[in-house]
Amino acid sequence: MRILQRIIWNNRGEFLEGLLVTGQISLIAIAVAMAVGLMICLIRMYCRPLRCLAILYIEFCRSTPIYVQLMWVNYVWPELFGWPQSFFAAGWAALALQSSGYLAETFRSGIEGVVRGQREAALSTGLSPYLTMRWVILPQAVLMMTPSLMNQFLVVVKSSCLVSVIAVPDLMYRGLRLTSIWFEPIEILSFTAFLYVAIVFALSAAIKWYSDRVRSRYA
Amino acid sequence: MVGDWIQVVTGSLFWEYRNILVRGLIINFYVFFLAGVLAVGMGLVACLARLSPLRALRWCGTFYAELFRNTPEYVLLVWVHFVPPLVLTLLLHTRINFSPLFSAVVALGLASSGYFTETFRAGILSIPRGHIEAARSTGLSSLLTFRWVILPQAVRKMLPESLNQFISLLKSTTLVSLISVPDLMYQVSMITQEQMRPMPLYSGAAIAYFVIILSLSALVGKFSEGWRAVGRA
Repeated sequence: MRILQRIIWNNRGEFLEGLLVTGQISLIAIAVAMAVGLMICLIRMYCRPLRCLAILYIEFCRSTPIYVQLMWVNYVWPELFGWPQSFFAAGWAALALQSSGYLAETFRSGIEGVVRGQREAALSTGLSPYLTMRWVILPQAVLMMTPSLMNQFLVVVKSSCLVSVIAVPDLMYRGLRLTSIWFEPIEILSFTAFLYVAIVFALSAAIKWYSDRVRSRYA
Repeated sequence: MVGDWIQVVTGSLFWEYRNILVRGLIINFYVFFLAGVLAVGMGLVACLARLSPLRALRWCGTFYAELFRNTPEYVLLVWVHFVPPLVLTLLLHTRINFSPLFSAVVALGLASSGYFTETFRAGILSIPRGHIEAARSTGLSSLLTFRWVILPQAVRKMLPESLNQFISLLKSTTLVSLISVPDLMYQVSMITQEQMRPMPLYSGAAIAYFVIILSLSALVGKFSEGWRAVGRA
């Protein structure tokens, strides 16, 4: 108990800051991934000449391991594009890269999941294509996509621990650093792992609760 | 910059180190194979526990599956590599170290066994109760019912999902380089440190994984389609 107090409680600031960075990087990553994913999805569905490129992008994001992408973004992008200049930016860029591929497919299945007749009915009552999208297709598609979107957020939170490898000071990084300062890996690493499990578990329970509710209400 | 791109396209730097890189890739597959065996084994055990009539056992199975499904692989990898050897050392009063390969196999195997538990359970639960009752009432024992009625149908149902699980496992084997198992990514980072030119090799590694995993998942997709068609017939 004394050791717990000495190491965990006295370093609570460290852990909290780490949690904050983990939360920050995950939120930025999922927001960017949603924007990019939506764009790629629209290109894939409605822009014929660029369709091949969009498919290639999606497949690349989905079939390269996140760690490889992280290294690639961190070491290769600055040389190729002159960006990102900080580890933090490289971290969220890599997480967003991975998720945007998955989200593009999620968006597509959401939009295609709306029954064809609805679109035709809306168009034949005189709604413009934009209004059809805005008032008929999107509300239903969003409802259907929300659970998988939230699941993708969960995946981002889970893989965000990898950004510690490129020295972004997230929860995992702080845990490893405290371990090397105090040399008490049993307590510190176990506590770090416990925090991750607790966060991911709470998030996934919330997602499950929410999607069950949506399903029971609308389906 | 253009020269670098040409190097990536022609793979000249990649080609120079092909022996080391292929050896790294073989280690990836080796870890994948061992971890896969562990994952399927533990997944089966936990799945049976989750379906058992004893509440305590069911509870243990659920706890196991939830624990490993919710732990990030990297966190588990580091934890397994550093904490259990130390605990064992303290308990047994002899110095114990896990080799990186051993930790990698255990951590990745456990992490994906959580997912396998759920896949197996869903497969078994998807068999209509009527089939089991019919089999039992024709006089088959519960073992025979499981072997000849539940298993053949359940395997067909869980195969596509399991194959996808295996692909995720293969993707996460790239993490083992972080505890210095000499896999492809480890070799790439070593050579990069030597040469101070990250661009060609990291791009090459990304492309290599892309090609391998994309072709594997295309294969899995084709295979599961055929498998589903058989199931319907």
